[in-house]
Amino acid sequence: MTQDNRSGRPQGRPSPGESRLSRVEAQLRGPFLLFFVSAVIWLLVASVLGLISALQLRGVSGEVFTFGHVSAAQHNLFIYGWAFNAFFAINLWLTSQLGRFELRNAWLVSLGAIIWNVALTYGALSIFAGDLNGFSLLEMPRTVGPVLAVAFLLSAFWPIVAYAQRPTGHSFASQWFVVGASFVFPLAYLLAQLLVLWNPASGVVQAIAHSWFIQNLLLLWLGGSALAAVYYFLPKVLGRNITGYYLASVAFWTFFLFAGWTGTASLLGSPIPVWVQSVGVVGSAMFLVSVIITAINFHGTLSTQSGWSLAWNSTTLRFISLGAVAFTLYGVLNALFSFRGFNAVVRFTSFSAGQEQLLTYAFASMVIFGSAYFILPRLTGSLWPSTKLVHLHFWATAIGALGSISASLAVGWQSGKQLADPAVPYAQVLTASAGLASASLIFAILFLVGHVAFALNAFGMILKSSAPAVEGRHD
Amino acid sequence: MQNPKLLIAGVFLTVALPFGALLLSSQVQLGDLAPAPEEEGGALYPATVPGLAVQGRDVYTSLGCIACHTQQVRPSGQGSDIARGYGDRPSVARDYVLQSHVLLGDRRIGPDLANYGARVAPTPKGTQTEPEKAAALAKSLAAVHVAIHHGNTFAFLYEADAKGDFAPERADALAAYLLSLRQDYNSPEAKLKK
Ligand code: HEC
Repeated sequence: MTQDNRSGRPQGRPSPGESRLSRVEAQLRGPFLLFFVSAVIWLLVASVLGLISALQLRGVSGEVFTFGHVSAAQHNLFIYGWAFNAFFAINLWLTSQLGRFELRNAWLVSLGAIIWNVALTYGALSIFAGDLNGFSLLEMPRTVGPVLAVAFLLSAFWPIVAYAQRPTGHSFASQWFVVGASFVFPLAYLLAQLLVLWNPASGVVQAIAHSWFIQNLLLLWLGGSALAAVYYFLPKVLGRNITGYYLASVAFWTFFLFAGWTGTASLLGSPIPVWVQSVGVVGSAMFLVSVIITAINFHGTLSTQSGWSLAWNSTTLRFISLGAVAFTLYGVLNALFSFRGFNAVVRFTSFSAGQEQLLTYAFASMVIFGSAYFILPRLTGSLWPSTKLVHLHFWATAIGALGSISASLAVGWQSGKQLADPAVPYAQVLTASAGLASASLIFAILFLVGHVAFALNAFGMILKSSAPAVEGRHD
Repeated sequence: MQNPKLLIAGVFLTVALPFGALLLSSQVQLGDLAPAPEEEGGALYPATVPGLAVQGRDVYTSLGCIACHTQQVRPSGQGSDIARGYGDRPSVARDYVLQSHVLLGDRRIGPDLANYGARVAPTPKGTQTEPEKAAALAKSLAAVHVAIHHGNTFAFLYEADAKGDFAPERADALAAYLLSLRQDYNSPEAKLKK
């Protein structure tokens, strides 16, 4: 990789990249594909579990597939299986594009991938076996935690190494976000494991620790990694600079500074000190600063020189710009519904599931899809086998996400309103939200269809590709 | 942005500050909470629960009941929990000090259970033996859950298996746990409405 940035390369734009599969890319091809294939397999498993829980299998009275197990396993596999593996892969690749980065120890990364996925499999099976904890995304048995942390370091510490070793000079926004995200997660994960599972803090402090951990995971690791990809692909594919790029460093610092304070807004009204709750409210409002700046950067870039229509016609950007819009929406919604009045209505309803899906699916997963459409052809040296499947993938997942998220939000609001009125009997609230159950079946099917289309296409391409020689590919 | 050490130090602080300010200081503030008497010299609340109920809590966690049930009552300014009869006063941190793993929950597909033990009707005439009570409660769980949309009535808790063996231990424990759920005492932080 040429990374001599003093050569007057325009700011606000990632390095042009080389037209051939560089040596660096050839080195990380193995680990990348290992992560990526695991990610897609977990995505399929999670989609099937989503379908099972939406199907309301009345006949199933068994213990293993009880709702609490299926929903916990689905949630964990979607996050740790799909999103983590995918961002391990994408972050590695971004690092290779942005810095002088030689992955000499590819085997260590592959080892990390194997440990991660074996531990995750064990964790998911334990959930079905009834060995689970009561905090979301920490449900897997506590023995899994340290193993995952080690695997994370093997898989995701490289961007930090590369950044620290990088020759001085220009660095690009994507790099900061990848470095920050990779640094934050293992720390937060280990601390949360300690305070919630291994050496539980006193009573409700566990809940505070958990809410803090969730924001570190969802916002800083998943969100940060996804923002890195948006900052890379938008200017790269459009061939122009990020609008207002000089603000990106402010976006970075406000993002990292405030995200860690937003968590306790999800505990409004819980038996924790009121000042802790208020900190969360203020944090969520402040976090809006970074949301606004990224919005200026992303939507500004897309709004000049018919950027939106160019984005629509590029498969990568079609997914990624959808993701960028979702992130803005998420930030606004998150700030708004951290206010006590609104929060009191929607707390404990499906609303928060909708909010989380906006972040983890409409934003992070869409960005992963878009990135895959760009990176995989380069690494495999072949083309996506079927355009039809690409379209099916896009429309099924986009409609599924839109429908599922709006249904969760709308039904959450509606049943929250009903619950707020003590005269409305609980049974009536239940019947009113039964519509969500049937709607979620349709969306679960859409997601599954979209993901199968994506998997067929991706696996077809990977199988077809012969390992390209280092100099083998021309754009 | 050009100095990697600066970036990493900054990011480290963004983790360390909320950790210190939110978590460590709440641990300092709440770490010493202990059961307290309702009035001078009275019994301590929250009361220690019987061993069977502690086992029952594990059954509750293991079956994933927390996916649909919370155990926390919000103050009356924040939602309608008290008006809906989930409790006579808001939950406070002290109510949870005896629980090694708190099960607050964050989703209510079913009703809140923080005071289930306090509001469930006492068994008629008080003639039931403990196992009968457990069996009755397990059946009533099946009865409430049969109407909901996630299919599982938890019949396996009280039904005989294929070999005809009936092992009600888990149902007993779960019942004891559910009956132990109560925040119907005065706490220094929250008095019951009279
Ligand atoms: C799929 C979600 C779901 C799961 C999982 C679930 N419940 Fe429920 N539960 C409900 C709903 C909904 C109701 C209310 C039913 C009604 O009122 O018609 C309910 C009602 C109850 C009630 C009666 C509450 C009252 O105030 O009358 C108890 C007790 C209860 N559940 C305990 C449990 C236990 C114990 C478990 C785990 C073994 C469990 N539930 C798992 C959804 C669930």
